[in-house]
Amino acid sequence: MSAITAEPFTLEFDVQSSALVFIDFQRDFVLPGGFGEQLGNDTSLLLEAIEPAQRVLATARRIGMFVVHTREGHRPDLSDCPPAKLTRGGQTFIGTEGPMGRILIRGEKGHDIVDEVYPILGEPVIDKLGKGAFYQTDLHQILIDRGIKTLFVGGVTTEVCVHTTVREANDRGFECVVLSDCSASYFPEFHRIGLEMIKAQGAIFGWVATSSQFIDSVG
Amino acid sequence: MTVITATVAAEPYPWPSDGVIDPEHTALINIDWQHDFCGPGGYVDQMGYDLSLVRAPLIPARRALGAARAAGWFILHTREGHRPDLSDLPANKRWRSRRIGAGIGDAGPSGRVLTRGESGWEIVDEMAPLDGEVIIDKPGKGSFYATDLDLQLRLHAITHIVFTGITTDVCVHTTMRDANDRGYECLVLSDATGAIDLSNHLAALKMITMQGGVFGAHATTDALVSVIGSDAPGPIVNEMPVSALL
Repeated sequence: MSAITAEPFTLEFDVQSSALVFIDFQRDFVLPGGFGEQLGNDTSLLLEAIEPAQRVLATARRIGMFVVHTREGHRPDLSDCPPAKLTRGGQTFIGTEGPMGRILIRGEKGHDIVDEVYPILGEPVIDKLGKGAFYQTDLHQILIDRGIKTLFVGGVTTEVCVHTTVREANDRGFECVVLSDCSASYFPEFHRIGLEMIKAQGAIFGWVATSSQFIDSVG
Repeated sequence: MTVITATVAAEPYPWPSDGVIDPEHTALINIDWQHDFCGPGGYVDQMGYDLSLVRAPLIPARRALGAARAAGWFILHTREGHRPDLSDLPANKRWRSRRIGAGIGDAGPSGRVLTRGESGWEIVDEMAPLDGEVIIDKPGKGSFYATDLDLQLRLHAITHIVFTGITTDVCVHTTMRDANDRGYECLVLSDATGAIDLSNHLAALKMITMQGGVFGAHATTDALVSVIGSDAPGPIVNEMPVSALL
């Protein structure tokens, strides 16, 4: 049994029943020329999460913790993209050609995960069509099959896909620890508040800890 | 596309319940017409079962597929199978499949059994999907569980579903039950579905008719096509011989 010094209080967990979940570390969000930038965001803010995420990933792999990656995106024919999503804000970029291929489309270069935290064999990749990683995916089944109870979560963006996924996971009975320096937002204030919301009211959605606290907890 | 207000002669009621078959809101879902289930050397063949009962429905199923395409319906195909790393395979499912001599993910004459990307997992040529038709890859028997099927149907404004596929009592039934619970009006084509055991196929059809049609209704392909019109299904590429029903 291990324990992580997290906020709002220490959480016990078992490596065998824990998973590291990295959310949407995709080129389309993190690098220039993709979806994030098309929406007018400064993608460099997300890059800060990469280095801590690499260290956490290396640790998880070393100790044999189950690792899962998610990618937001759509079938090439867009049959799984609600019209409301395609036309949000009157203007859409999903499916259109960009410097990294068709934006947010499975199989395109921008849709894939950045090299620094790229999945290896044995690490399932969940392709999701929404913000939450559970909705209309096989993530829940994969976690149940493996007997997973605790999720250590990193990724982007804190208040959108990370938050939605943690809320979904929490409702399904998982205990979630968001790694604060392994997640990021285009809006620093949303990153801060997003983390506050997770741990409020005695960990209403889950816990928050740093990459160092995670690495220390598993020795 | 034509809105049909004639009903299909089905059991236990003329289908559909609202009396309207609108191609804009109707889907044909073709369940698991995979080589592993109805092809020589696949999962079912390895378990030692007689394939003829799951191959005979291929002819009516092709006919239904041609008719639905001609009528402009939304067409979907499902495939049961697992990620190559087997991360979506429950341990008890794997155990049971090995016990009967056809371990999922293990090597077989058609590649790794029930594993995505392998030749056994592919849809047979007779029911090959066309561009624009959606393929749903599912890890279980029901086609909604852990898939995006429900979103696909909602986005296409589907309210009515007709089923072909195999096997009647397992994947077709589970999917029909899940669809019915979600409010879809369902019709199973009795001769375009099949089961390894004939009495199970017949019981599965009978179960649908209880309580005034607890899950929906069933009808023959003839009954459907006589109402929605037909179209020649086109040539089969690399046609495999289809045994006649006993």
